[in-house]
Formats: sequence, C-alpha cells, structure tokens
Amino acid sequence: MSTAGVAQRKSNLAGTTEPLLSVRGVTLQYKTKDHLVTATYRVDFDVHRSDRFILLGPSGCGKSTLLKAVGGYLKPVEGEIRLKGDAVARPGPDRMMVFQEFDQLLPWRTVKENVMFPLQASGRLGRAAAQEKALDYIAKVNLTAFADSFPHTLSGGMKQRVAIARGMAMEPDILLMDEPFAALDALTRRKMQDELLALWDGTRFTVLFVTHSIPEAIKIGSRILLLSPHPGQVKAELDSLPRGASGADITALEQRIHAMLFADSVEEAVPERAGAHA
Amino acid sequence: MSAIVDPPVARPEIIHEPIASSAFGIVEKPLSPWERVRNIGALRKFALLVALAVTWELYARSLANPLIFPTFSATVVAFVQGLFGGDLFTKALTSVRVLLFGYSAGILCAAILTVVAITSRVGTDLLELLTSMFNPLPAIALLPLALIWFGLGTGSIVFVIVHSVLWAVALNTHSGFLSVSHTLRMVGRNYGLRGLPYVARILIPAAFPSILTGLKIGWAFAWRTLIAAELVFGVSSGAGGLGWFIYENKNQLEIPNVFAGLFTVIVIGLIVENVVFRVVEARTVRKWGLQS
Repeated sequence: MSTAGVAQRKSNLAGTTEPLLSVRGVTLQYKTKDHLVTATYRVDFDVHRSDRFILLGPSGCGKSTLLKAVGGYLKPVEGEIRLKGDAVARPGPDRMMVFQEFDQLLPWRTVKENVMFPLQASGRLGRAAAQEKALDYIAKVNLTAFADSFPHTLSGGMKQRVAIARGMAMEPDILLMDEPFAALDALTRRKMQDELLALWDGTRFTVLFVTHSIPEAIKIGSRILLLSPHPGQVKAELDSLPRGASGADITALEQRIHAMLFADSVEEAVPERAGAHA
Repeated sequence: MSAIVDPPVARPEIIHEPIASSAFGIVEKPLSPWERVRNIGALRKFALLVALAVTWELYARSLANPLIFPTFSATVVAFVQGLFGGDLFTKALTSVRVLLFGYSAGILCAAILTVVAITSRVGTDLLELLTSMFNPLPAIALLPLALIWFGLGTGSIVFVIVHSVLWAVALNTHSGFLSVSHTLRMVGRNYGLRGLPYVARILIPAAFPSILTGLKIGWAFAWRTLIAAELVFGVSSGAGGLGWFIYENKNQLEIPNVFAGLFTVIVIGLIVENVVFRVVEARTVRKWGLQS
C-alpha cells in the first residue's frame, strides 16, 4: 500500500539530517567530435529527503548533464556523487528519470504496461502486484480511463503524466526530472505544475528537477541551485518561497535570480568588472 | 504625430456564447456504404487482381498460342488439376519446407550477427564489412560451391537460402537498432536493463519496423533463390520442389503446367505478404503507432 510508503518517508524525514544525495566537487566532461567540453566544474550540493530541489540555469550551464550524471549515465572526471552513502556507478531504478521528450514511453506497451514494466523488469514485484500498484499511480495522475491506451493515442501532457506515474510507481529514492514540462504548451504546463505539487503533497517524494524557467523553479522548488554557464558552476543555493507567497515576494525573488544570472552574461560580454553594474 | 493610444481604435469588448452542438447540421455522420467499401484495402487489391486476370485472359485468347502463352483459365485448370490430381501440392510443400528451414536458419544467423554488432565496435565493423562484401553476391552464384561442400540435396539449397536471407535481415535489423531514439535507450538503462534483456525488451520492439522490412525482403530473396536453385536440380530424386516442377514441365512442353507452377509461387507469395505479414504488422507496429 502507498500509505505505508508515505509513513516511511515521513519518519525518514523526521529522523535524519544526513543528505539523501550528496554531490561533491563534481566536474563533468564530454567529448564531441572535435572538442572535449567541460560541462560543470566542481559542483557541490546536497539533496535531503522530500526536497523539491531545482537545478536552474541558462542553457549551457550543464544542468541536464549534471542530472544525467546523478542518473548514472555519465561518470564524473573529478568528485563524487553519493546516493544514501553509496557512490553512483550506473543507471538504476532507484533513480527514476522523467525526460523532456514525449517519446520516453515504450510505444509497444499500453499506459498500464508502461507503468508496470520497470516494476517487473527490476524484479521488484510480481505481475499482479505490479498491476495493482500501476493502476494506483495511474489514478493519482488522473489517467484511469486511458490505462489500456497506447502512448501514440495520448496528448503530450498525458504522456508526461504517464512518465511521472511510471517514475513515482517505482517509489525511487529520488525522482530525476529533466525539464519534463518544457515541451508542453503554456496552459498545460501550468496545470502540470499544480498537479506535480498536489502529488508531492500526497507522497512527499524527493525530486531533483531541471529547468531553465525562473517562475517554474520558484513555483515547483523548495530549494534552488543556480548555475552559471560555460562551464556550470554553483552560483548560489537559495530557498524558494512557500506556496501561496505574495505576488510581490515572487516578483522580488524572480528579479533577484534574474539579476544573478544576468550578471553572468554581462561579465561575459564586458570583461572588466567595472561594466558589471550596467 | 498624434499621441500613441493603445489600442489605437477604441472598440467595445465582444463576448459570445457558443452555440449548442445540437444546432449544427452535421457534427459526425457515418460514411456511405460505397465509401466504406472503397476504404477496404483488400477489396481494392482484389479488384486489381481481377482486372489483371481479365487482361491476361483476353491477350492470351487473341494470341491463341497455348505453347507460348496459355490463357488464364487454362492455367487455373492446370493449377487445380495439379493441386488435386497431380503432384503440384507435394512439390509446393517440399519447397515451402526447405524454404522455412533456410529462412529460419538465416534469421537465426542474422540475430547472432546483429547482437554481436550492437554490443561491440569490432562487431559493428565486422557486420558492415561482411554485409558490403556478401550482400551484392547473388546467392545462386554460390550454388556450384555449395554443391561441392554439401552435395546434391537439401543442404546446398539451405546454404544458399541462408546466404540470401542473412545479409538483408542483418542489415535492416542493425540499421533499425541504430535508429532507436536516445531517450528510449536511456529509459531502458534507467530500468537497470543490460545485455540480452536490454536488446530483447527495448531494442527489438523499438526497431521492429526495420526488422519487419528486413524479414519481408529476406522472405522474397529466399523464394527467388529457392526456385532458381531448384531449377538447377531437384532437391533429391523424385521429391523435387516447385522449381523442378517448372523445369520438368517445360521439357515436356506442358506450358500450362509451367504457368501453374509460377502461379503457385505467386499465390504463396501473395498469401504470405498479405495475410501473414499483414497480421503481424497490424498486431505490432500499427497497433503501437510506429507505422501508419
């Protein structure tokens, strides 16, 4: 039952201050055809249980690369990533990913089978138990009527909801979301953000969320990591605002974040520090 | 210049109530029976077949030379007689049995080669090299060699069929694997799948449209090779296949029987293409939305 999961998560939340995910001095590099590119340089941050931790930065700050490294797709050339004290070595179902692309669902499986697949493939549950859990989470994202539909018959927003249900059904230690709403239209996007928060209220899962939208970061996140571009370095780690904060507070935080990111681009354009306040 | 007013021309706000859908003439209307019949692909193809048969019949009658070009009706009569009275059915069965054996063996070889190719770079190089070397080589050109190696019998024919199936299937499967989207690959690895389970549960279904194309091409190649090889010799004494049936009847100037033999090859081809592969397509790639 999921309520047991909630209780367990809540007790963990109360019991420990040890970070769930700790990223220490992580430098990431990848090779293109002609270049060795440094995506992030000595990034540090800690994610605690039930955090809604946001990686925010302009394109080229290595936030997606960082998320892939946490996912285990990429090895850091320096530093280490530890999940519950163990170094991350390879991709695994304890860190479920939700991608930006709509083609992340397996087209040859129905919505229900898509949610069941990782539960069974990882050997965690038998068929009947997996089905029960899948239907439970599909209901949570309001897709019960589409449980037997194939992904190609769904809209973009519905596909992302299936992907979120699939990630959550695994009850991973941490849910990794790589700009999951970026390809959605603005109206659907707002609705999905509200739904994600409602889901979090229900289960208090830990999520590491990548975005390049400042309003989305403030709305979704409980803590925000600001990264500067080329290569990505930690610029700041801020608390977000509580939900229901006044519009003025939100605007102020948005402007503060914007100024921090904007200062970078000015430094880039004008080498002397003197020009930075312009 | 006048001051900028926004909006430039003052207008009242306009608000409409949408009309109830019951007030429209047509929201959704079933198509007429004729339109629906025309939407059935099988019927359209059948009509084309009938037209072709009629053309054949008329042309052959105007030619009036059964030794060169027998009529459609004569061919059908020879076909039915051969099927129920003669040995056409057993010949066809012999051919199909050898064909299925060679086809399966070819697919098995292709599967092994492609899995090796997908799991290592040397394997990829090997597959690309072998394919570019052997794919252009006509299978029938290997028959003399096969006869020396495997003798006058099923072994040689299976060998050349494997050769004709292997490269087409391997090439298509490999290019299908390569075109599987990066996201799906990451999803599969996210589930902790590696090695063979990863290939079987992610790559093969995702690459299925290409694999199916490869299987279709392989099937056609296998048929051609089989008939051509059988024209050279019977599979074993007294139990030759369709190719041998055609060859024998040509020697005896039983031209309608020659046509009936060719007709059998065509009919089996049509059935496999339009029933077997069609059903597989409908249950897989079409159902999954991978192919329209």
